[in-house]
Amino acid sequence: MTVALPEQATRKYDLGFARWVRDNVNGGAKMSMCMQCGMCSGSCPIGTEMDQGPRKLFMMIRAGMKDEVFNSSTIWNCTSCYNCTVRCPRGVPVTYIIQDLAAKAVEFGYVKKVENARFAKAFWWSAKTFGRTDERLMTAKYYFSFGLVEGMKRGLANLKIAIGMVRTKRMHIGMPHKIKDTKGLQAILAKAAEIDARESKGGA
Amino acid sequence: MSDTKKFTYYPGCSSLGSGAHLDRSIRAIAPKLGVELEELEDWNCCGASVGHIEGGQLANTSLSGRNLAHAQQQGPQDIVTGCAACYLNTHGAAEKIKSDVKLRENVNEALGAAGLKYDEDRRVRHVCEVIVNEVGLDKVREAVTNPLDGLKVAGYVGCQTVRPFAETEGGGEYDTFDDPQFLDDFIEACGAEAVEYDVKTACCGGSVSVMKPEKTLHLIKKILDAAVEADADVIATPCPLCQTNVEMYQDAINKKFGTDFNIPVVFYSQIMAVAFGMDGKKDAALDQNIIKATKLEAAAK
Repeated sequence: MTVALPEQATRKYDLGFARWVRDNVNGGAKMSMCMQCGMCSGSCPIGTEMDQGPRKLFMMIRAGMKDEVFNSSTIWNCTSCYNCTVRCPRGVPVTYIIQDLAAKAVEFGYVKKVENARFAKAFWWSAKTFGRTDERLMTAKYYFSFGLVEGMKRGLANLKIAIGMVRTKRMHIGMPHKIKDTKGLQAILAKAAEIDARESKGGA
Repeated sequence: MSDTKKFTYYPGCSSLGSGAHLDRSIRAIAPKLGVELEELEDWNCCGASVGHIEGGQLANTSLSGRNLAHAQQQGPQDIVTGCAACYLNTHGAAEKIKSDVKLRENVNEALGAAGLKYDEDRRVRHVCEVIVNEVGLDKVREAVTNPLDGLKVAGYVGCQTVRPFAETEGGGEYDTFDDPQFLDDFIEACGAEAVEYDVKTACCGGSVSVMKPEKTLHLIKKILDAAVEADADVIATPCPLCQTNVEMYQDAINKKFGTDFNIPVVFYSQIMAVAFGMDGKKDAALDQNIIKATKLEAAAK
């Protein structure tokens, strides 16, 4: 859980949102180093699928455009290739910031329906329940999060791949692979969530 | 072999699924390289590139914290993993915990819920980095009994094996972000030819390719196009997600772009197993590639 978001900026030079990002987003403390050179967007393999790209997104953060930032496709199409991060001449961990903005967008209810949020939900369910990613169940849960018909459609579209995976023993049939101490792991994750809630109440 | 170095081995979730052939071939070649792998006790998921979205940053880091705590209990040896995402997350978490007192405190408070603690700084390494820095290419060459003359290989490194840690002190400084050489070196050490391959650190789309391939098929096409252009017999990669994405989407790419790709995509460790004269199935796990690497299979003992 994170400190509550500030209001959307209504006047010029309102740095409320930029400060919130600085204090609450992973890597955000380095955002002020950004000099808008565009190395990040130029290095991005998937910029064509983004409305803004990282450079513009960072400027929007400075401009206080909170809603536009959290609704931007830029935070959802990042493939975590880390080109921007290693190339940034100012040492801004661009990938970490983009990734965490995605988490915050989910936390503050901006997006519930985008693929990534559904995928992340299915992924975390598997990690928490079994302690491991069960690629079969996670994918099925993701597909069927779109509803029964769409789930079947997506499943059928990938049937050939699934058969190939089963045939080559890269997808097993049977019970999920579980860690021994699922209870211990779940206790750790619950405690971590509790600490998060406690710290965000304390304020940053 | 006398000078064997022991590691705590973290196979990662893909080792039980889509990347089973990476795990199998790594375990096969390790003894030939003087590396002893002891599996990490009750290891869990690393969180990959999406764990933080639903779980939050601290819970996600605590996943790695639990693995680090188990490694600490297990012995003083470094952790090693063959999976790019496991490496990124576990190494990244260890480095962050090392430099952030508050985070260490929080992670340990969470770990305390299961009676665990992590109060040291454990080195987390990638198998490729270990081969470069600990084993050395000479030892790889020495292990080759079945040189792969005439096999043309496109060395596709991908992203997270070298980014963001390859050029950092903690990452072992084993290669560069943009133009890594280690994979071509492995290929050549095995007697095969590493073809010119400009897109070696291009992105396969990662998990975005899994959830919405319509956005990323063009990225994978680039990787395939360059391999065909270089006349490669096979693409070799260290990353389990790269291997799966580049292999399994060839049909979809052919449908979308009217191409006719059918290029095998294997792991460097499968190539090494064959070059080390090991069994093509049991050790090199070539039976686990959906697109059969026929030339490599033919070369296998």
